[in-house]
Amino acid sequence: MSMLNFLVRRIIYSFFVLLGLSIVIFIIARIMPGDPARMAVGARAPQWVVDQIREQMHLNDPLPVQYGYWLADAVHGDFGLSLVTQRPVTADIREFFPASLELVLVAGLLSALGGIGLGTLSARYKDTWVDNVVRLFSYAGVVTPSFVFAIFFVLIFAWELKWFPVIGRLSEQTPAPPVVTGLITVDSLLAGQFGTFLDALKHLVLPALALAMGAIAQEARITRATMADNLSKDYIAAERALGISEREVTGRFLLKPSLIPTVSILGLDIASTFSIAFLVELIFNWPGLARYGMQSMLNKDLNSISAVILVLGAVFVVVNIIVDIIVAQLDPRIRLSAARSE
Amino acid sequence: MASKRLIVFAVTLLVGNLFISACAPAPAPPPAATQPPAATSAPTTTAPTTAAASASPTAGPTSTIAAGKRVFRATFSPPLRADPAVGNDYVASSTLPNLYDSLVFPNAKGSVDPWLATSWDISSDGLTYTFHLRTGVKFHDGTTLKASDVVYSYNRLKTIGQGYAYLVTPGVQSVMAPDDNTVVFKIEKPSALFLPSLIRLYVVEEALVRKNATSSGAYGANGDYATGWLQTHDAGSGPYMITEFPLAEYVLMSKNVNWWGKFNPNAPDEVRFIVTTEAVTVRSLLQNNQLEMTDQWQSLEAYQAFAKIPGVKVLALPTVSSFYYMLNNAKAPTDDVHCRKAIDYAYDYNAALGLEWPGTKQMIAPVPATLAGVDPNLPYYKHDMTKAKQELAQCRYANQLDKYPITVDWVSEVPDEEKYALLFQSNMADIGFKVNIVKTPWLSLVDNMSKLDSSPSISTIYVSADLPEAGLMLRQRYHSSTTGTWQQNEWLRDPKLDASIDDALSTLDQQQRFAKYSAIEKDLEDRAASLWIYDQLEKHGIRDCVDLPAAKGQTSVLIGYYFFMPDVGVTCK
Repeated sequence: MSMLNFLVRRIIYSFFVLLGLSIVIFIIARIMPGDPARMAVGARAPQWVVDQIREQMHLNDPLPVQYGYWLADAVHGDFGLSLVTQRPVTADIREFFPASLELVLVAGLLSALGGIGLGTLSARYKDTWVDNVVRLFSYAGVVTPSFVFAIFFVLIFAWELKWFPVIGRLSEQTPAPPVVTGLITVDSLLAGQFGTFLDALKHLVLPALALAMGAIAQEARITRATMADNLSKDYIAAERALGISEREVTGRFLLKPSLIPTVSILGLDIASTFSIAFLVELIFNWPGLARYGMQSMLNKDLNSISAVILVLGAVFVVVNIIVDIIVAQLDPRIRLSAARSE
Repeated sequence: MASKRLIVFAVTLLVGNLFISACAPAPAPPPAATQPPAATSAPTTTAPTTAAASASPTAGPTSTIAAGKRVFRATFSPPLRADPAVGNDYVASSTLPNLYDSLVFPNAKGSVDPWLATSWDISSDGLTYTFHLRTGVKFHDGTTLKASDVVYSYNRLKTIGQGYAYLVTPGVQSVMAPDDNTVVFKIEKPSALFLPSLIRLYVVEEALVRKNATSSGAYGANGDYATGWLQTHDAGSGPYMITEFPLAEYVLMSKNVNWWGKFNPNAPDEVRFIVTTEAVTVRSLLQNNQLEMTDQWQSLEAYQAFAKIPGVKVLALPTVSSFYYMLNNAKAPTDDVHCRKAIDYAYDYNAALGLEWPGTKQMIAPVPATLAGVDPNLPYYKHDMTKAKQELAQCRYANQLDKYPITVDWVSEVPDEEKYALLFQSNMADIGFKVNIVKTPWLSLVDNMSKLDSSPSISTIYVSADLPEAGLMLRQRYHSSTTGTWQQNEWLRDPKLDASIDDALSTLDQQQRFAKYSAIEKDLEDRAASLWIYDQLEKHGIRDCVDLPAAKGQTSVLIGYYFFMPDVGVTCK
C-alpha cells in the first residue's frame, strides 16, 4: 500500500514537472532567433506564405494565448504539424521513438552489465593490475564523448575490419519485419525472422556500445568505490568470520547494497542517453528521436521541439520512478521509511 | 539449484551465440549486376528489373535491394522533401525530376527541350502558350496523364505557395485544359522566363492526390492537399518511383519500366538517396563500396581523402552558383564608384582561387558563367594595384578612409568564408582601407540586410540561379525589387537599370535578349556594383564505375539535374 501511495504521489508530482517543462521549452523555443515560418518555407517563398503559416500556428498571438492553444491540443495528444516533415508530430515521434528506445535499451543493458561487472572486478581485485586497468579505462571512458567512440568504432570495426555495418538499422538485403513495437529486434523475433534479428543486432552493436562507453566507465567507478567502501564494513568481516566463501560474500552480501548508488546513476544515464544520442545517431544514420529533435531545433520546428523535449522529460520521469522502485527493493531502509511516513 | 545453474548456462550460451553471430564479418555483397545491358526503355520495352510497378512504398525502416540489380547510392543533406509543391532545396531538386515529369526539360545548352509537352505554340503577343501533350503517358499507378492533371498541379503549387511556386506562378493569369492533351497558359506580360520556369512545374496525378488528402487542413476544400502523404509517397509519372521512404534515413526509388522516355542501358534499377553528410560515415561507405557518389558538402580535406580510395575519383562540376562580395552602393565608402573600383582591382583573385578546389575559376561576369546569355567577351576585373591606387585617388573618401571603415559580414555557418574575409582585409590594407570583419549568423545577416541602415558595407554570400539563363539572375541580384532581401546588398534601386532588366526579360527573341543581357552586364561592371569572386564548383567523390553525363558536360547545370538517373550508367561490381 505504501509503495502504491508513493507511486501515485510521484505520478502527480511528475505531471506538474512536465507542465513546468512544457512552459519553459515553449518560451525558449519561441525566443530563439529566426522566424520558424520563414525557415520552413525557405528564403525565396513569398511573404504571404510565411504570413499564412504564422496565422495557422497562431504565431502572431501573445505567448500565453499561443501556449493555451498548444496545451489544449497537447492534452488530446495532438502536438500539431511539423514544419519540416509536414506530418503530425505524433506520427514523427511514433516513427523515431522506437529506434531510439531500442538503441538506448541495448546501451543501457551494456552499461549495466559492463559497469557493474567491471566495478565488481575492480573492487574484488582492489589495488592489483586488474583494478588499475579498469580504473584507467574508467577515466578514459568518462572524459571521452560518445561521438568520439562512435568515430573510432566506425573506423576500426566498420571500415578497417568490416565486421559491422556503417549505417542504418538493417542491411539493404535484409527484409524488415512487420511493425508491431517498432523495435526491430523484438518485431523480428515476433515474426520468427531470426536472420533479421541477428542483422538488427549487428547494426545495434556499434552505436549502442558508443553510447554506453561513458556510462560503463561511470558505473564501474561508482560500483568499485561503493564496494570498496562496504568491504571494510563490520558485517562483511562478520560474514567472513562465519566462514562464508569469498564468492558468496561478494555476490550475495556485498554487491546488493553496493548497487544502490550505481542503479540511481545508471537510471539517469539511460534517460540522458536519449537526449545526448544525436551525434551517435548522426554518425550511424540512425533514425532516432534525438536526431529528429536536433533537426527540429536547427530548423526551429516549434511543434516538434516542444513535443520531443516533453517526451524526453517524460522518459526522465518514468526512468526515475523505476529507479526509485528498484532502489526501494534493494534498500529495505527506504521501504521502511516510506511505510513509517504513512 | 542445479536447474537454476542449467538455466543460467543456457541463457549465457544463447547470448554468447548471438553476440558471436553479430560480431561475424558482414555477408558478401550481392552478386554484381551481370545482366546484359537492357535496351533503351520505351513503353513497349521491358527493362531487366523485378521492381513492382506500384507506387505504394512501405514505410518500414529498411529496404531490400535484390541481388543482381544495378544500384546507385548517393548521400545528401537533410531534410528530404519529395512533395513537388514543397521542396526546392538541393536534395528535393535532385529527387523531383526522377519522380515527376514536367512540360519541358532543361538541356545542356541552357534552354529547354520538349518533354511532357511535345510542342507548343506562342501567340503573336507572347501572352498565350498552348502546350500539346505527349499521349499515352502513364502515372506510376497506371492512370493516364491528362491535361487536367497539369492544371491541378499548377493550382496546387500556387495555393501552397512553397517549393518552386515563387518561380513558376508569378505573372501567370490562367491555366486551362481545353481537352485531355492541351494545356493553355495565359500570362500577364511577355516573359522570357516563363517557358524555362515550367521546368519546375512537376505534374502530379490529381486523382491520387485527392484520394490521399485529409479532409481537414490549411487549404479549405482541398484539406491538406496531401502534403503529409506526398512527403513520403509520389504521385508522378517520372522514370523512378518511391518504393521506400523512411524519412530520416533515405529515399529508395525503383525504375519505372513503363516510363515513356529513354534509359541509359546501364541506368540503375534502384536509386537510394541517403540522408547523411557525416564525413567519417560517408568515407566509410565509399571505402566499403556501399556508396556510388558523395554529397557536395564535404571539406576539402575529405575530398582529398576520397581521391585516395582505390576506384574513387573526385569530380568538380560547374554550377549556377557564384560567390559574391555584395558591395553596398548606398553607404560610404562603397557608395563611390571609384572606391568600389579600387576594391575590385585591389582584390587578389588568384590567392582567393588558391583557397578553393583546383579548377575553380574567377567570375567573368556579374552572373555565373554557366548561364546562357552571359557575355564571355566582356572585360572583367583583375588584380592590379596600380589601377587600384589610381581609382582610390579619385574616390571622395580617399583622404579620410579612417573615418569610413568597411564592415564585412560573413556567414558564421560557412566557416570557409572567414579565409576570404581575411584575404580581403589584407588586400584592402595595402591600399589604405580599414576593414572590420564581422562573423554573423545567417539569420542575423538576413535581418541586417533587410534595412539600409543596418546593412553592412559588404555581405559575403553564395547565390545560385533558378533558371539556366542570365536574365533571372540579373533580376534577382540587381533589380530594385530584391533590395532588402538576402539576394542583394548592393541597394542599387536604379529605375533605369530596372527598366533595362525588365525589357530584356520581356524580349522573346533570344539573340536580342542576350544582347540586352550583355549590355546590362557591362553596365554593372562599369559601376563595379559588386566584387565578383568565383564561380562555385560542386565537388563529389564518385566511383569509377559510374558514368555521369554531367562530368562530360551533357547535362543541364540547373540544380538537381546532375542526378537525373535515367541518363546515368552504373557498372559497379
